[in-house]
Amino acid sequence: MRRILNGFRLFWQGAILAYVALFHWLRPIQYAASKIVMPLAQMFFFVYLGTFATGADNASFYIIGNALQIAAVSGIYGVTMSIGGERDAGTLPYLFGTPANRMLIFLGRAFMNVMDGAVGVVIAFMWGVLLMGLDLSNTNMAALALTVFITTFSTCGLGLLLGSLALVTVNVMFINNLVYFLLLIFSGANIPMQNLPGWIQAISSALPLTRGIATARLLVGGASLSEVGPLLWGELGIGVMYSLLGYVLFTVFEIEAKRRGTLELV
Amino acid sequence: MNVRTLIKYWRTVLVVTEMTLRMNFMEPFVIFTVLIQPIVIALLGLWMLQGRGAEGAIFVVVGSGLTGLWSSLLFISGNSINIERWIGTLEFLVGLPTPFEVIVFGKNLANVLQSLGAMILGYLIAALFFGYSLTIEQPLLFALSVLFTVLGFVSFGLVIAPIFVMNPGVQGWQNAMEFPVYVLCGFLFPVALLPGWTTPISYLLPPYWAAVALHGTSTGGATFGQTLLAWGMLVLFSMVDLLIASRLFTLMLYKARADATLGLE
Amino acid sequence: MNAIEVSHLRRVFKTYIGVIRRTAKEVVAVEDISFSIKDGELFGLLGPNGAGKTTTVKMLTTLLIPNSGTAIIHGFDVVKDAQEIRKRIGFIFGGERGLYWRLSGIDNLRYFASLYGVDPDVSKKRIAYLLELVGLNGRGNEKVGGYSRGMMQRLHVARTLLHDPEVLFLDEPTIGLDPVGAREFRQVILDLQSQNKTILLTTHYMFEADALCDRVAVIDRGRIVALDSPSGLKSQVRDMSVVEVELFGLPEDMLEGLRRLPFVDSLSVEDHDQRQTLMIQTARGAEAVPDVLTALGGLKIGRVVVREPTLEDAYVRLVGGHA
Repeated sequence: MRRILNGFRLFWQGAILAYVALFHWLRPIQYAASKIVMPLAQMFFFVYLGTFATGADNASFYIIGNALQIAAVSGIYGVTMSIGGERDAGTLPYLFGTPANRMLIFLGRAFMNVMDGAVGVVIAFMWGVLLMGLDLSNTNMAALALTVFITTFSTCGLGLLLGSLALVTVNVMFINNLVYFLLLIFSGANIPMQNLPGWIQAISSALPLTRGIATARLLVGGASLSEVGPLLWGELGIGVMYSLLGYVLFTVFEIEAKRRGTLELV
Repeated sequence: MNVRTLIKYWRTVLVVTEMTLRMNFMEPFVIFTVLIQPIVIALLGLWMLQGRGAEGAIFVVVGSGLTGLWSSLLFISGNSINIERWIGTLEFLVGLPTPFEVIVFGKNLANVLQSLGAMILGYLIAALFFGYSLTIEQPLLFALSVLFTVLGFVSFGLVIAPIFVMNPGVQGWQNAMEFPVYVLCGFLFPVALLPGWTTPISYLLPPYWAAVALHGTSTGGATFGQTLLAWGMLVLFSMVDLLIASRLFTLMLYKARADATLGLE
Repeated sequence: MNAIEVSHLRRVFKTYIGVIRRTAKEVVAVEDISFSIKDGELFGLLGPNGAGKTTTVKMLTTLLIPNSGTAIIHGFDVVKDAQEIRKRIGFIFGGERGLYWRLSGIDNLRYFASLYGVDPDVSKKRIAYLLELVGLNGRGNEKVGGYSRGMMQRLHVARTLLHDPEVLFLDEPTIGLDPVGAREFRQVILDLQSQNKTILLTTHYMFEADALCDRVAVIDRGRIVALDSPSGLKSQVRDMSVVEVELFGLPEDMLEGLRRLPFVDSLSVEDHDQRQTLMIQTARGAEAVPDVLTALGGLKIGRVVVREPTLEDAYVRLVGGHA
């Protein structure tokens, strides 16, 4: 029993501490800028571009796609930095020197970002309704909320993998930016899947966001939870898969680094 | 300010531009902002605007190039002074007999030229991978528009950089200033789509006029009068910016020397 | 003809304490400094860390604006005529920062030569000459990021001579260099002086000031406490002797007590791991020894030596025994 409580405390404290420690440079104004203004600006850009390209009737296609895309901000920048940032801050050796359960540490990192990411997506949807005429009257809101959570979770899973990769490569931000922008193409946020070449569709189906966005579009169109069930399970599975992959890489890295003595990589 | 001094400054600008370009090639952040981000936006645009064929393609190529120009200006030129401070070279640059503005001008020029190179790459991608035969309707006018665009952006950059130095709070909004300019300046869709009250704001942004000139001359959609107006606005903004910039630099350098912020104390 | 005239310079820094509620604190780096340097002189500014040496140099090199006072270099004011001064001076702060690591040594020099407005044909020859002068020829094509600290220091020197300035400011240039490198560097400085350049050198190494400088200003806590040639400074302690006592752990309050003894002119303590050397300057010489030992009470004592004062001791005396 004590072990369970201890594990829980480890998870929780670690999550909050890590979140605060790695984002201490973010002051309230910058936080507001990144959580409220940036998503709005990005959405405006793509929604206008999208309606310019395919007509005003398709506005909701772009609104939904880009609103969910916001999950990638926390998932990628947030999570990857919370792991990769440890190396930059030089705290990795200390972290790895503890007997703490690696899995809990690892997941703790992602947890706060899932919460934070979900908030970001909700705000984005709110903008869509308030400023861009998104009509949610036919939507199963609970199902939509679930979709948001699962999608945020799966992008954080990708973030965990990227974060572990960041421990072995030098340039975290480059990878972050690259994946974030590539997701704009591969997730189907702005382009209907069928318009993309076959090989891109194949890659998209192995990435987070793709099913989540498709699900959200169906839900806003009036679909029921049972209809989108398979897609949601798929998205969840992707999230789990990436988290596991990331965790494996994380432990491999720790073993390798301790074996080769490269824990404080420059 | 006599001719000899101007020639000397121009030589300095060229050397600064050359060195900045060489150092930037090895910088991942620059490669991303100048090259990768605009290319991804170009790809997105090309797929989204597939329905418009070749005309849409040249529009996307020019428009995505403009997004690269702006992001480069915002993040790279904007930070150019602060970066020198972090490396520790700012004191040496300020302690030179050459006015500091000349050096920053050279750095901005390098950044703008880089972005133009990325635009060319976008052109090649659109032509080779998507198979569009891209033509620039008014080549001579387009080339002149490019020249005026370079002038406009470099001058604008000279205003942004010292503001970022003197007001780190403004720099916190950098990320939030990227996409709004894409929207307000009509890079990838006409500003006519936006609510009417935003139009005056668009008029006040130099990149808007650059977009008018470049889009108009590449797609042939603008009359000569409209292009001329855009050029005129770019020149006007450049003059104003250069004037403001010289005041800002004097102010910034005085402040930095009075507050001891030239180095990282 | 005075190359440099400094008159009552003063510089204060504001620092902020606390994160949420920030209170401002004022630190006086330079209290009141006046001195002049003749053309072609090698002038030393000597003082402990934090004395105000670097701050003074930064004011003279137009990088800091004084809060009050004036400084004139070759007739130009450091605040009003900054551009003119920058044409005529060169400066080094040393260290690993201040160079472009991604560029080679030669490219760094080419870059700065152009920034200094040196003609392209002149700069090519001069760069070759300077690389030879500072001992970097052959390594010029390597990226600066791969240079050792000493090499970077030497590249700084080459950079500062690109436009052949009349006045040089060298701020602690031998810090971080190994003894051999430092000695070679000092030779370079002497060579520069033989070319009739006016040089202001800051250092906290007494022997360096002694070896190189025509005159030395000793600066402590923002004020000049002495200004003389090295031999002049040494004569200030001519009548003193130094009692050296080897100790193993001197309590702070006893140290204060010793300071207040009437025959103690000044004292300092050197730490060597577990041992300490207490050095007391006194006019009484060997006669002071019994009183010193009494004052040291029950402490364990090693060697006791009475000796002639050195320039180090003169320095210690001037900066009040807290070098």
